[in-house]
Amino acid sequence: MFDFLIQGFGVALSPLNLGLAFLGALLGTLFGALPGIGPINGIAILMPLAYTLGLPAESALILLAGIYTGAEYGGRMSSILLNVPGDAGAVMTTLDGHPLAKQGLAGPALGLSAVSSFVGATIAILGLTLFAPLLAEVAVMFGPAEFFALMVFAFASMSVMMGKDPVKTAIGAVLGVLIATVGVDSGTGVLRYTFGMAELYDGIDFVVMIIGLFAISEILLMLEHANRQDGEGDIPPLGRVFVSLKEILFCKGAMLRSGLIGFIIGVLPGTGASVAGAVSYTTEKRLSDKEGTFGNGDMRGLAAPEAANNASAAGSFVPMLTLGIPGSGTTAVLLGALMLYNITPGPMMFSERPEVAGGLIASLYIGNLVLLALNLPLAGVFAKVLTIPRWVLVPGIALLAFVGVYQLHSDLTAIYLMLAIGVFGYLLRKLGFSLAPVILGYVLGGLMEENLRRALAISGGDVEILWRSGISLGLWIAAAALLVLPWLLPKLLAKLQPGNRPLEQVEDD
Amino acid sequence: MTVPGRRAADRLLGLCLLGLAAFVAVQALQLEVPFSYDPVGPKAFPLGLAILLAGLSLVLVAKPGDNGHWPHGALGLKLLAVLGVLLVYATLFTRLGYIVTSLLAITLLARLFAAAWGKALLTGALMAVGSYFLFTRGLGISLPHGLWLSALA
Repeated sequence: MFDFLIQGFGVALSPLNLGLAFLGALLGTLFGALPGIGPINGIAILMPLAYTLGLPAESALILLAGIYTGAEYGGRMSSILLNVPGDAGAVMTTLDGHPLAKQGLAGPALGLSAVSSFVGATIAILGLTLFAPLLAEVAVMFGPAEFFALMVFAFASMSVMMGKDPVKTAIGAVLGVLIATVGVDSGTGVLRYTFGMAELYDGIDFVVMIIGLFAISEILLMLEHANRQDGEGDIPPLGRVFVSLKEILFCKGAMLRSGLIGFIIGVLPGTGASVAGAVSYTTEKRLSDKEGTFGNGDMRGLAAPEAANNASAAGSFVPMLTLGIPGSGTTAVLLGALMLYNITPGPMMFSERPEVAGGLIASLYIGNLVLLALNLPLAGVFAKVLTIPRWVLVPGIALLAFVGVYQLHSDLTAIYLMLAIGVFGYLLRKLGFSLAPVILGYVLGGLMEENLRRALAISGGDVEILWRSGISLGLWIAAAALLVLPWLLPKLLAKLQPGNRPLEQVEDD
Repeated sequence: MTVPGRRAADRLLGLCLLGLAAFVAVQALQLEVPFSYDPVGPKAFPLGLAILLAGLSLVLVAKPGDNGHWPHGALGLKLLAVLGVLLVYATLFTRLGYIVTSLLAITLLARLFAAAWGKALLTGALMAVGSYFLFTRGLGISLPHGLWLSALA
């Protein structure tokens, strides 16, 4: 049953793909380390350029996945050194990472986080290798009705787990699905919400959407960050560069447990690195914090969330590759990228396109090693990225955004649309929305409607088909159960959360 | 602690979304559907979404939450200025060509993000020319030369 993996290594070990995995890891780490640029922004900005290289699907996916995992790695730089999390997944990293840096242990802290990231990711990639083909076999039995129920479940789970406000998360997802309805209706050829603009007949272009939503809104948000001058302090000295084996062994339990937790949370659709980090940190604190050292620079408090958020990054590939349901906003972007190649991820991918599924998984193994090799010795170099001033960073993002959208059709309308979507994204973020549900809704919206209509076409319009099978009924019940939780969960979380750190201005991935 | 003004923002948002839901529904109802074997058709899905959105908006109006600080005064003006620069960048992109417009846009953006004139100009020049060669030679993207430059070449 691991034929796909052998074939995958054959794909991933070709010189081109090996080079791309390396390039992705490097670019991802750099973009993740940039202040304010999380994995999702990094992918959004770099994706259009990946297309101009004219790569085959599996190579493009290897590059993007490298960027993704690299950015998860890079996100810890600003958390540890500046106490400013680069993305939501790195929030928990600040709790013990920054105190360590202030004690002059910034170097070992960076090294330890690289090692724990590696351990967490390895656990999750092994899990992915084992469970993805199994889940794919189950998922082959899914018909349109089951897929529709699964997407409803994914949105329900997302509303509960993602962002601070479940109502706003749900609204964001609905808005995303609505944006996906723009364009020619595939079933009947009717034009919907195009307002007579020929550019909208094919719907709102994926690249225009993600660049506008993430890159342009980020530029606008950065203006405020620049003004507030938060965390623009000096980088503390790194101290000794390498972490000792004794320190790593001290944290081994924390790493292994958190890697497992992170993987499981990553597999659940809609729950990403931020939840994984929070759950693993609180678990570890309860298990190991005998002397009250957590929060004051305990190495285990750094290792736990780092292992967990990298594990969840790899874990979120499980639902994406097997069911076509992304586990996080960033995998939603990857899913959209695959769809541009006319590949719809799902249960058939392991049998029909094993070079894509296997190549991706194999490249995750390779990328993980590359990341460790890059990050241990080069931590000091990556730390320099943090000192790039905003007046260089912002024009750079603007250039990449403009060129990325312009090269699609050499068309200015797309650029205006990108700017409009950017303002929309900015307003949403200011109003307390997370953008991940919007992008998930946008990516899944088309599939959701297609599956609903296919199911009803099979039954001749009888809606009962939607919950006739055991699988779909179970998914509906699970979705309903999840929607009741929001009233219970905040109370539970408030008890678990160590101190109430403001999560303001941190985007879920 | 909730500031009344911030709650008002959510109420207003809820009302706007309610309007959007109504608009989506009306547009969906006006679609003229040719005969097809599809029992659902293109109307039902957007209609369902509109109803869902309307319901969620009502919840938002009834129970508004907090949202972040809105930029005031100078910061608001700067925000508009950044948007303005991006719009001008888009408008002139094909007319003046990539290098010239990028030089202009980068310099102005750098200025808005508090760089001194000299640094901003230097960044603009280096980045515009450097990225032009990276994109065209390195990645094979064709970028607009601008009318006057192509006359020279």
